[in-house]
Amino acid sequence: MKISKKLLALIVVISGIVGFFVVLPVHYVLEETSTDRFCGVCHEMDPMVISYQKDIHAGSGAIGVKAKCVDCHLPHDNLAKYVYQKAVNGIVEGYIHFFGDPDSINWVANLKNKEHYVFDNGCMSCHTNILDTTASSQQAQKMHAHYVKLQGSDKELKCVSCHVGVGHAHDMRNQLEYWKPSYKIYENKMLEQKIKSKQEFFKDEYEPTKQEREFLEKKSAKATPSHG
Amino acid sequence: MKRLTLTALLLLCCFFTPIFANDNGKKSDLNIQKITVSDELRAKHTLKPHHEHLAFDCIDCHANQGDDPSKFKNIKDEGCLSCHGTKKLLAQRLKFMDTLKANPHNSVHDGPTLYCDECHFEHKPSINMCSECHEHEVPQWMGVTP
Repeated sequence: MKISKKLLALIVVISGIVGFFVVLPVHYVLEETSTDRFCGVCHEMDPMVISYQKDIHAGSGAIGVKAKCVDCHLPHDNLAKYVYQKAVNGIVEGYIHFFGDPDSINWVANLKNKEHYVFDNGCMSCHTNILDTTASSQQAQKMHAHYVKLQGSDKELKCVSCHVGVGHAHDMRNQLEYWKPSYKIYENKMLEQKIKSKQEFFKDEYEPTKQEREFLEKKSAKATPSHG
Repeated sequence: MKRLTLTALLLLCCFFTPIFANDNGKKSDLNIQKITVSDELRAKHTLKPHHEHLAFDCIDCHANQGDDPSKFKNIKDEGCLSCHGTKKLLAQRLKFMDTLKANPHNSVHDGPTLYCDECHFEHKPSINMCSECHEHEVPQWMGVTP
C-alpha cells in the first residue's frame, strides 16, 4: 500500500496535535498533584509539612530556591519510574487515608527507613555537582568521596544516610513526638506543644480536634478560677 | 495479529527499559590514605550500628593520626562534631524533651556543653550519665544511649 505525501503530512500533523492534547492533561494532572499544598491536604502530614516549612528547602533562603515534596520523595532518574512511583504512592497513601488508620502509624520508627523514601537522584537534580565540587568543606569532600567509593557495592549509601535532618530542619522528630509521644510521661506536654505548633502554622485557620479543644478548655478554666 | 502483538511488546519494552537503567556517579580524585589493620585490632574496636552502616574505616574518624592503628587516640568532641554539627543543633534535635527538662543534650545542669564521651563511646557500650542520679526517671524520659 502506497501512501501519498499529502496524506502522510496530514497524519503527521494530526498525530502531533493529538499527542499534544494527550500530553497536556497528563502534565497538568502531574503538576497539580505535585504541589506541597496537595501533599499537605491530609492531616497526618501536618508534622512533616510543619517541619519542612522551617527548612531552607522550603524556600526561606536568600535566593528563594524551593524544593517540593516530590523533588526529594520521588525518583527522578526517569519519567516512567517517577510516574509509576507516584501512582503507587497515591494509591497506597490514599487507601490508608480513607480506609486505614493513619494515626496508628509509628512515624518515629519509620524514620529509620528514610533511605527508601528519599531519592538521591532527587537531591542531585538540584545539587548536580555536589560530588565533584571543591567549594565545599574538606570534611564534606572527604565524606562525599566515601559515598562515591561505596557506589555500586553492597554497602552503597544514600544522601540521607548521613544528612538525617535534611528537608525538615532537624525538627521532624520533635513534631512527630508532639503528635504522638514515644514516652508516656510526655503526653500532656506534647499535646500542649502540638496545639502551639498547629496554631503557629495554621494561624486563623486552626481547627482544634476534640482532644485539643478539651485541653484548651481545661487550661482556660484553670487560668480563670471561679469565685465561689 | 502476531506482528501487532510483537510491536506492542516492543513498545512496552522500550517504555520500561529505562526503569532498570542506572547511571553511577563518577570517580572522585580525592586521595584517601589506606591503612592496614590487624583482624584482632578490628575485632576489639567494633563500631556502633549507625557508623557500621555507613561503612566507616578507622581513618574516617581517626583523621590525621598517622597510619598506625595501635596508636590511635580519642577523637574528642571536635572529631564527632565534624559530622554531627554543633552541640546546639544536637540539643535542638531533641527539643521535645526540653518540655520536661529531660533533654540530655540540654540539661538543667550543663546545657549544651557536655563532652560527647561523657555518655557516648564508639568502641564500647555507651552509658547514661543522667542515670547516676535519675536512675528511675531516665527509662521514662528517653531510650538507650546510642
